[in-house]
Amino acid sequence: MGSVFKDIVEKKHYRFIDGEGVTWQEAVRLSAEPLVADGTVSEDYYKQIVACIEKYGPYVVFDHNVAMPHTTENAEGAYKTGIGFMVSDKLIDFGYDEDGEKKEANLFFTLSASNPDEHTDNIMQLSQIFVNDDLLDALQAARTPEDILAAEEKYPCEEE
Amino acid sequence: MAKLDNKKLLACCANGAGSSLMMENAIKKVMKKHDIKPAELRHCSVSEGKSAARNYDVVFCARTFAKNFEELAAAGKIVIPLKNVMSDKEIEAALQELDLLD
Repeated sequence: MGSVFKDIVEKKHYRFIDGEGVTWQEAVRLSAEPLVADGTVSEDYYKQIVACIEKYGPYVVFDHNVAMPHTTENAEGAYKTGIGFMVSDKLIDFGYDEDGEKKEANLFFTLSASNPDEHTDNIMQLSQIFVNDDLLDALQAARTPEDILAAEEKYPCEEE
Repeated sequence: MAKLDNKKLLACCANGAGSSLMMENAIKKVMKKHDIKPAELRHCSVSEGKSAARNYDVVFCARTFAKNFEELAAAGKIVIPLKNVMSDKEIEAALQELDLLD
């Protein structure tokens, strides 16, 4: 398995935002921008993600204020497989889920999938990352790419 | 033989690309822990799952999608809605509750 975060930093697939007044739709767009920048996804790719969340609700927001905005494999405009990582200094409001629970996120892992094997590898790694509370705390406090790498080094995920 | 041995398990999410794959991984962990060998374990989209589910013994989905499987559940299919699709603990607890673990 590769390292998700090393890849994110090398490819500059990260960004840090001031989340003040940012809607979740805008946040999804912003999180996909680093992927747009190097041609991983099209400029409009994020709109499919927004439509999907509007249709099904904020099910892409998990515990620990982690969001994994995504669409289907081989979606239109998903040219390469990648993860757009974004840290917001404020929680972004995704509304309420079907249980009436408020969903908010400040960590975004926005997915693009064109290669099934790479995508599966990404998902496997993210499954580990999303249950690693110490790592998530450190990522939420990250403000530079160096912080991202330091967080991963300090709180590595268990190998399967 | 474990109760879920040779059973067919299906994990569904909106697109069949993200959370259903995470669910599949979490289910795999539980199967491994309990030494269960299902005949099949795969993930797909809810729309595909709705028609495919009749060929499976147990269907897992995020709570958001449980309403898509209400008819199947009413017809006796085991449908397990999950709050946290990555939680092997939740899957384990749900299976235990349904007395599907040994």
